[in-house]
Amino acid sequence: REVRLFRRQTKTSLEVSLLEKYPCSKFIIAIGNNAVAFLSSFVMNSGVWEEVGCAKLWNEWCRTTDTVHLNPADAFCVFYHLKSNPSVLLCQCSCYVAEDQQYQWLEKVFGFCPRKNMQVTVLTCRHVTDYKTSESTSSLRSPFLKALKTENFKEPPCCSLLEQPNIVHDLPAAVLSYCQVWKIPAILYLCYTDVMKLDLITVGAFKPVLSSRSLKGLVK
Amino acid sequence: FLLFQPAVSVGNVGQLAIDLIISTLNMCKIGYFYTDCLVPMVGNNPYATAEENSTELSINAEVYSLPSKKLVALQLRSIFIKYKSKPFCEKLLSWVKSSNCAKVIVLSSSHSYHRNDLQLRSTPFRYLLTPFLQKTVQNKIKSLNWEEMEKSPCIPEIEDSEFCIRIPGGGITKILYDEGCSKEIPMVVLLKFVSEGDNIPDALGLVEYLNEWLQIIKPCCDDPTAPALQWKMPSSWRLLFGSGLPPALF
Repeated sequence: REVRLFRRQTKTSLEVSLLEKYPCSKFIIAIGNNAVAFLSSFVMNSGVWEEVGCAKLWNEWCRTTDTVHLNPADAFCVFYHLKSNPSVLLCQCSCYVAEDQQYQWLEKVFGFCPRKNMQVTVLTCRHVTDYKTSESTSSLRSPFLKALKTENFKEPPCCSLLEQPNIVHDLPAAVLSYCQVWKIPAILYLCYTDVMKLDLITVGAFKPVLSSRSLKGLVK
Repeated sequence: FLLFQPAVSVGNVGQLAIDLIISTLNMCKIGYFYTDCLVPMVGNNPYATAEENSTELSINAEVYSLPSKKLVALQLRSIFIKYKSKPFCEKLLSWVKSSNCAKVIVLSSSHSYHRNDLQLRSTPFRYLLTPFLQKTVQNKIKSLNWEEMEKSPCIPEIEDSEFCIRIPGGGITKILYDEGCSKEIPMVVLLKFVSEGDNIPDALGLVEYLNEWLQIIKPCCDDPTAPALQWKMPSSWRLLFGSGLPPALF
């Protein structure tokens, strides 16, 4: 259940945390298949991105029992940087990171020395039935976008903030907690949808994020 | 100063009680207990009272304080990651020890179905004291005529089993109490026997029990019809039982 970071090209593992090796000013993380598809179609298509690392982990959600030879078609967690501006990092995480692996993932990616002059953007989806509101969930028009930001994130978000008493769990919560505690400006864009499988309409719901400062300049 | 903390226990009563204390006393967030022992979780300010203060991000373990009354509260909002409850207690208690607080008060609960006949007939509240509490505190608590948590057979199935303190459903309460005794920490555990369900009344009961001793809030109103003590429920307690119902259901 160990989380390991390595470079696929050289098959060597990373000795230090990812951000120590690749200093970063902008880090965009997509967690889940729809968020990953959004970044692939809109952001990765607009620039030249080079793979800098890959996280390998196994838990009960993985479809394979072979922990050594995970093939590219399996759910994965890959890191890229923009060739024209290598301080912009992107993470496509389509595997589920279990609760006992989330802090390990944070350690291997962010490391122990938090950098303050970077901005983190996280994109993910949740099922609309998780959303608590005083109206009934059947009357909600999904998919819709909500945001959660850390104290140091000063720009206005591109959608409304997630109201109490809603909360977020899993890897997006782990990343945001880390950023809040270490005063790193970070924002999470959460898409509530009724289709958790890959779905064009859900992917399209992330479009307002393209106008945010985090993604501006990265999309043609 | 006094440190309040919950144990994640049956009905989440300890945590609900801490929410009531933080919300009623309007305590300010002074820091985080950043640990890899609790499942990560974030959300907007659960004690928001207006648009302006509703956008502050909260995480799974935060520390609040009320300097005027020398009170500090640690709130835990998620469960332990597997095998991490003991390391968490150790880290927590070494922080408590180094912070030189006067007393630690642990708010918790235990399964009501585990009560024996005597317990069924008495008050549902219990307390436990570690030996390192000052005599004055011990005497004050004795003067309140409270019931101390009884010992029960360590292994219920065996007839001549030894007796020890058991807190079924109490989560880390027993570990905290045992470590508190061995690490010479002045600690008071207050708990209520509860069942899962709507545990808001249980939390209110627990804070009123605590208040009998510490008097952290005093009766204010002259109006005889209003309840004696005004506990403020946090805004995050809305929708505890889910979203609104679809009208088509009816």
